[in-house]
Amino acid sequence: MILSSVVFLPLLFALIVAVWPKTSSIRHLAFGFSIIEFLLSLRLVQLFDSNTAGLQMVEKHLWIERFGISYFLGIDGISLWLVLLTTFLTPIIILASWTSISERIKGFHVSLFVLQTAMLGTFLAFDAIFFYVFWELSLVPMYFMIGIWGGARRIYATVKFFIYTFAGSVLMLIAIIYMMYLTQEATGAMSANLLDFYKLKIPFVGGAFFSLQTLLFFAFALAFAIKVPVFPLHTWLPDAHVEAPTPGSVILAGVMLKMGTYGFMRWVIPLFPEASEYWAWLFMLIGAVGIIYGALVAMVQPDVKKLVAYSSVSHMGYILLGLFAFNSYGMSGGLYQMLNHGISTGALFIMIGMIYERTHSREIAKYGGLAGVLPLFTIFFFIVTLSSIALPLTNGFIGEFLILLGTYQAQPVFAYFAVTGVIFGAVYMLWMFKRMFFGAKGELVADEHHPLFDLNFREVAVMIPLVLMIFWMGIFPNHFLDYSKASIDNLVNNRTNYNLTIVEPGAAEIMHAQGEK
Amino acid sequence: MNTVTLSDILLISPMIALFLTSLIPITVKVLRGNREQHSLATLSQALIGIIISLGLLVIFGGAGKTAFNNGLIFDGVTQWLGAVALGSAAVGMIMMYENPATVGKQFSELIFLAMSSAVGMLILVAAVDLLVVFIGLEMMSLPLYLMIAMSHEGKLSKEAALKYFLLGSFASAILLYGVALIFGSTGGTNILAFMGDAAELVQTSRLFLFGITFVILGFCFKVSIAPFHAWTPDVYQGAPTPHSAFMATAVKAVSFAAFLRIIATQALVGSDHLFDILQWLAVITMIVGNTAAILQNNLKRMIAYSSVAHSGYLLIGVITAGVSQNSIFGASSVIFYLLSYAFMTLGAFAIASMMERSENHIINIDDLAGLAKKRPMLSLCMTVFLLSLAGIPPTVGFFGKFYLFNAAVGEGLLWLAIWGVVSSVIGVYYYLRPIVVMYMKEGEAEIAGHSLNATTITAVVMALAIVLMGFVSGPIFSAVEKSLF
Repeated sequence: MILSSVVFLPLLFALIVAVWPKTSSIRHLAFGFSIIEFLLSLRLVQLFDSNTAGLQMVEKHLWIERFGISYFLGIDGISLWLVLLTTFLTPIIILASWTSISERIKGFHVSLFVLQTAMLGTFLAFDAIFFYVFWELSLVPMYFMIGIWGGARRIYATVKFFIYTFAGSVLMLIAIIYMMYLTQEATGAMSANLLDFYKLKIPFVGGAFFSLQTLLFFAFALAFAIKVPVFPLHTWLPDAHVEAPTPGSVILAGVMLKMGTYGFMRWVIPLFPEASEYWAWLFMLIGAVGIIYGALVAMVQPDVKKLVAYSSVSHMGYILLGLFAFNSYGMSGGLYQMLNHGISTGALFIMIGMIYERTHSREIAKYGGLAGVLPLFTIFFFIVTLSSIALPLTNGFIGEFLILLGTYQAQPVFAYFAVTGVIFGAVYMLWMFKRMFFGAKGELVADEHHPLFDLNFREVAVMIPLVLMIFWMGIFPNHFLDYSKASIDNLVNNRTNYNLTIVEPGAAEIMHAQGEK
Repeated sequence: MNTVTLSDILLISPMIALFLTSLIPITVKVLRGNREQHSLATLSQALIGIIISLGLLVIFGGAGKTAFNNGLIFDGVTQWLGAVALGSAAVGMIMMYENPATVGKQFSELIFLAMSSAVGMLILVAAVDLLVVFIGLEMMSLPLYLMIAMSHEGKLSKEAALKYFLLGSFASAILLYGVALIFGSTGGTNILAFMGDAAELVQTSRLFLFGITFVILGFCFKVSIAPFHAWTPDVYQGAPTPHSAFMATAVKAVSFAAFLRIIATQALVGSDHLFDILQWLAVITMIVGNTAAILQNNLKRMIAYSSVAHSGYLLIGVITAGVSQNSIFGASSVIFYLLSYAFMTLGAFAIASMMERSENHIINIDDLAGLAKKRPMLSLCMTVFLLSLAGIPPTVGFFGKFYLFNAAVGEGLLWLAIWGVVSSVIGVYYYLRPIVVMYMKEGEAEIAGHSLNATTITAVVMALAIVLMGFVSGPIFSAVEKSLF
């Protein structure tokens, strides 16, 4: 029951918030709820057995018998931290939006909780249709979040976001239906169960685009590639990020982009191993191009939020590179980078939101000399900047280093190009930092009618957990990676013959008992 | 041969009951010296009639039951789609009771016509003889022309009625011509009788091929398959909103029933000529409906084009049912889709109807601006309807499309399924627009009249049903499928 509670508790919260009579206390209520949800998800870590690659805490009930569609939740080392990332960021987002969201507070928190359910469901569903339902459902609250609380061009941005991602995923639906028929051919009974999909042997013809596995591979990959987003399909992202309100940007960058890379890990690579291997060069290429392109475009942005948005494109390129290196360095680096990016880019967006609340501008040129005026803010911003450019001791370093190591092992030539991204990353982030925080005071900073105030207690409280995570993940990566090691090794070693076994509840304790003896 | 048995009477008892209750309001009006009774009384008499008719349909119908020498059949298709038609008629009448263009004077006559039309629908949905099909079709259509013309609005409705009448008669004539050709080539008009030879006749007899094509074209007009859809936006816009809702759901459901019975057999769709025609009709309809809807500013016109697009999706299901050895899966997916489609389209029209302040009021999409602030509940309902029409999970609209495309993929019609999903992406664009306007633009939108009235309750019930049916779509689908065996 624990996974169902984790997934659907936010939906219940959404209902309670929706009927809550007093507007003034909604923020407190929502914050309390999100903390409860986070504590509940911590219980997942406690129950999680890191020694097995199998699927744990499984809940499986037949939902639509006619098509073998089931209500199927499970967790393994790949999902675990993404779930935690989601539940960790939600209270932070609520706290960070305490004053910036001043209109339709109720609607905002309802959307947030519905979105949380959709995201958690995406990470935990192991039935194709059940997964698809969550996957598509996540679009709706995000659509409202950008469209209602966003900036000036919010409607354009939100419609573009919705249509892009929806367009990507419909072909995946056809591919899922097709695979359901393949299971019917193979086993006699139609099934949308992902574990049954894994057992399929889909014929692969190298070099022929119009062959079964290649087509299915691309149908899935397109959906996830748009969500990530990879280089040529990324154009919705800067628009969505710039127009979204701060909490929307944080969720978008922090969690929703991860749904795409998670899709590659969970669906594309194990389901279509031969096609993934054959086309790995393509995805590594667009990953590497994305790294450099994102960094170069970020460098010239006059708008600091757009700069961070393009830096996301660059960082997501790393993840793709790591995943398609197909070795345990690359894979675990990719997974780690997903978490890093969630935390450091989330933190950047939150801080940009804080300064925007004070000055109502995101133009880098109008700032300058902030360091003298806002010392606390500067310290936090600097730490997050370092994390974003992957300085050792911060979380970003571990992820990027592992990815580059894995890429070098697999395809050195892509590593040569990708490594320049590290330099470019330092260039655009530090240059932005210099222009905003040092030098002569800019027009907004020097404006005597609107003196700037440093972070208040609430804002410090928002930043502290993020900064703690940056260092914790940077100094003790094994605290996190140990949990996903078994799953990632299973994925890397048995890629062509991937299988997940369901670990029965109780079996873990028995195994432990035996191990202790 | 010509004896009428008791079982025949029992089987057609839903039609008889419906017809008898339809007489009550106008009889009362005559007895009262041509004075209207209270509209609520008229409405409740009509609703009671519909409930009785629905009950009789469920009780006496059943697989393989035929009446009047195989002239009418009361199998699962009849029961489900008959129920959809009756339910849509009931919702339509509730909307008529409150819409400014229909309520008030001549309400009894209006309800009488609507119920007569529903009788025609029941005949059409049950008909297996082409002549009975024609009778049902005309009995359904003639009251509709009158109902549209009776609108209190002075100009657009008259134009719509005339347009619908002229084009409708033209289509009926084509259909009847087709029936004549079929009679000429097979010597009979009963579908069950000539279907056995149809596979051969399609290949050998040019006359039969023409006949069946004409019949198809006649129905394409009724369900607004492009390029025979041109009347749809004009008529839906000009007609009072409740009538548009009634036409978009009930007429479509029963016409697709006829489609399923006459066309969706392997003998016909399985043949190359007809398969190609139907396939391209489906593709063109989806593209035309969805792209034209993008360009609309009028809410009712937009829903009209969306209904054109949905006909295209449904045609995929009809083709699937036709090409497969065992047409039950495809046919059930069509029935399930019509059922879900009825809910969301009725809901969307109900919201449009509530916005109308007077009989001349034209609702543009931009008029919805700011509705979310004033009427959060209704905006939420409208959002559910639109997302369901767009096929976003977990609404029932998604599952309808899922079953439809699943059946198509199962029969190897991958090509059509891909066209279907691609055009539904185009569809998302215009379905999002009213949501954008309601939630993201400032405005003074307000519904007419009280916030608590029958139409509102209906809309809320529809929205709840759409969400709930999303979760239990599996059992419903299985029930549909089982009833067709």
